[in-house]
Amino acid sequence: MNRKTSSLSMGKLFSISGIIVVLLALIPLLTGRTDVITWFTFTLMYVTLSQSWNIIGGYTGQQNLGHAAFFGIGALTARYLWLFGMPLPLALLAGSLAAAAFAIIIGFPAFRLKGVYFVIGTLVLAEILRIVFDTLLPRASVLPSRLLNVYSLTPRYYLNLIIAVLAIGCVYWISRSKFGLGLMSIRENVDAAEASGVNTQKYKLLAFLLSTFMSGLAGGTYAYYASAAQPGYLFSAVWTFDAVIIAFVGGVGTILGPVIGSVFFVLIQQLLSLYLPGGIHVLVFGILFILVVLFLPGGLIGLWKKITGPDSKNGGGRIDSRD
Amino acid sequence: MITQLVAQTVVNGINVGALYGLAAVGLSLTFGVMKILNIAHGEFLMVGGYLAFWLLTLRGIDPFVSVPLVAVAVFLLGMICYRFLFAGIARFEEETKVKNSLLVGFGLFLIVPQIARLLWTADVRSITPKYSGESFPLLNVRIAYVPLGGLLIAVVVILALHLLLTKTYFGKSVRGTSENWKAAKLMGINVDRTYLFTFAIGTGLAGVSGVLVGLTQALTPDIGMEWTLKALIVVVLAGIGSVGGAFFAGIILGVVEAAGAIFMGPYAVALGLVIFLLILMLRPQGLFGNE
Amino acid sequence: MLKVDQIDVFHGDLQALWGVSLEVGKGELVCLIGANGAGKTTIVESISCLLPPAAGNIWFNGERLNDKPAHKAVQAGICLIPEDKGIFRGMRVLENLELGAFNPDSRRLRYDTFKFVYELFPLLESRKNQIAGSLSGGEQQMVAIGRALMGRPKLLMCDEPSLGLAPIVVKNIFAVIKQICQSGVGILLVEQNVRAALKLAQRGYVIENGRVAGHGDARDLLNDEKVGSAYLGTT
Repeated sequence: MNRKTSSLSMGKLFSISGIIVVLLALIPLLTGRTDVITWFTFTLMYVTLSQSWNIIGGYTGQQNLGHAAFFGIGALTARYLWLFGMPLPLALLAGSLAAAAFAIIIGFPAFRLKGVYFVIGTLVLAEILRIVFDTLLPRASVLPSRLLNVYSLTPRYYLNLIIAVLAIGCVYWISRSKFGLGLMSIRENVDAAEASGVNTQKYKLLAFLLSTFMSGLAGGTYAYYASAAQPGYLFSAVWTFDAVIIAFVGGVGTILGPVIGSVFFVLIQQLLSLYLPGGIHVLVFGILFILVVLFLPGGLIGLWKKITGPDSKNGGGRIDSRD
Repeated sequence: MITQLVAQTVVNGINVGALYGLAAVGLSLTFGVMKILNIAHGEFLMVGGYLAFWLLTLRGIDPFVSVPLVAVAVFLLGMICYRFLFAGIARFEEETKVKNSLLVGFGLFLIVPQIARLLWTADVRSITPKYSGESFPLLNVRIAYVPLGGLLIAVVVILALHLLLTKTYFGKSVRGTSENWKAAKLMGINVDRTYLFTFAIGTGLAGVSGVLVGLTQALTPDIGMEWTLKALIVVVLAGIGSVGGAFFAGIILGVVEAAGAIFMGPYAVALGLVIFLLILMLRPQGLFGNE
Repeated sequence: MLKVDQIDVFHGDLQALWGVSLEVGKGELVCLIGANGAGKTTIVESISCLLPPAAGNIWFNGERLNDKPAHKAVQAGICLIPEDKGIFRGMRVLENLELGAFNPDSRRLRYDTFKFVYELFPLLESRKNQIAGSLSGGEQQMVAIGRALMGRPKLLMCDEPSLGLAPIVVKNIFAVIKQICQSGVGILLVEQNVRAALKLAQRGYVIENGRVAGHGDARDLLNDEKVGSAYLGTT
């Protein structure tokens, strides 16, 4: 991990980020176009979602393919609680806690599985949940008219903005903390990490809890956004896959990777959907994904670093490097 | 009446189960020999099904006749995929290899259904030759021709695979490489080429399964992952490395699901997945495995 | 026949061999002696093209083997019996022997080779349908040597054939090795049992810390003071 950062560059970093956040906060005031605001809202939600996966998949190296389960739990819990009258922030919190609670339940058995079995096992688990909820609650939950009449994108946008900033901040904290160092050591070599005193079991679980909490939060924001939501869809594996490909293509294990990836993802999705049948953006990202896995493990961020070079002006202020 | 229901359920279960077994055998082979879990296995199945569909629709070729054609076509497709996507990974040591091959397979899983959708639209297809709905009675049950044919094909193919692996030089080299690739190299076996052909055989088998799936169920561009999961359940149920066991495990799964459908209705689909998790947790070596 | 010329070999980033050179002539029995971890296994793995050298050359009958894949070395006529015997324990004895003759040329002639191998090791014929892993250590060693011979090698390399075997069995194995050598096959023997190796071989190389520390006629090495104190426990 590159800690060669001078305080000057850190300051530069924070001010640039601050400016971007302020600009983003101004967007709803600058434009009334709902499609643009929706676009941004979704990008921000994907930032949170992919960052949440980034924590467990990118920093800890555990490829959890059951991520959608936690998104779904968070979404479903938050939505029903909110529809029954609970104030939104509490409902969101409850959703995230529910997701984290489920993570605790399955965390112990799940992490006993090694390598490929963990990946497949999590995928299967999420699929089971999807089938159960799809069958249990086949009908979409539609917002009642009292809420539909006052539906406004703006609060949803700001909610996603705040949560996205928090998510990025959380990942930033991880990358710079002893906790994060432990996670990355687990990613590199579990046995070596264990041997050097890292309680790998505890760290994995903590990362998992953090990751699922954040995922549940993302789910909650989606539940708040969607005027109609079919429960089965909330558990669809698509949410996992989107998070994974965004994180990878952007640069897994980096702070900005998922951010860049999300922007790119929604951009390509919107552009391509104008001319080609829906879902094509997945094709593009699938190809990019394979290219990243085979040739560009650092994703777009890694590519950027290669282009700008290790000793360019940006070098000293690099946020983190994935090695 | 109850016995008829039970018997018919068992028959249906066996038919579907043979399909599961065939779909799983290819995956088991690849996973057992190369320790690569091809998560895009179902995509090759889907492509095989569509190939048979178009061979019937455009050229009138009977699906049972097109089985060898599809097998060869998907075999070649698998060779190309392996050569360009997986071959580089096969050299890494185990953990990286497994992780990266999963990711590459995942990438294929993203791409192939989209290409299929572009080429063939998302319409649901079914391979329906003229004799599709016909059946004959046997004791208390109805035996439909098409699923019976599917069962026969599955049995024949798996027997052929068994013979290949036990009686031919190539098959023995595959088994040897699977056990100890270093020793295989020292015997003059070209391990890279062995992996290439093993992978291609695995995908070819998936393609053949696809034809049967198209005959007995429906084809859409998205069935890939569903079938990969089914194949996975069977592989884990049978135990890694047990290629013959995969067939029997498939039958077991088929019958269990058919029985489950009666009692659990729409939840029965999750039954196989639950079994999968239980096996992973409680008996990871599967029913017939030896690791 | 075999000429190894100043090879450097790395295991990943760690260098294991520095400028190693050795030769084995046709029908010669040469041994490599040295302590555990000195690099003897690395040398034979390099010659069989499992580990390509980073520098230097490996010549076999005029052909340069450096970057060739392992199966090409077998095709050229080099067979290695590794320390862990290099057999398929889950498969039958006969299948192991058959796979030893995997190479198209050897495969064609395999029925002749079977005769030779069965004559050498009658046990392999009587147990040919038994699973190799169920045999005793010494019997597995026979399978290992048998399958190496099935490749009709011009150069046979044995890495620690006596490891883990009872002295009587070791005596047998060595006698067989001598027999094989007398039939015209060159042998490169890696052995920890220095005395037995030097008694068997015509020439020897002493490997220390990845370098050739000495070489010469086996008898000279046997009587050499330094070799004696380091490896034979004599003063």
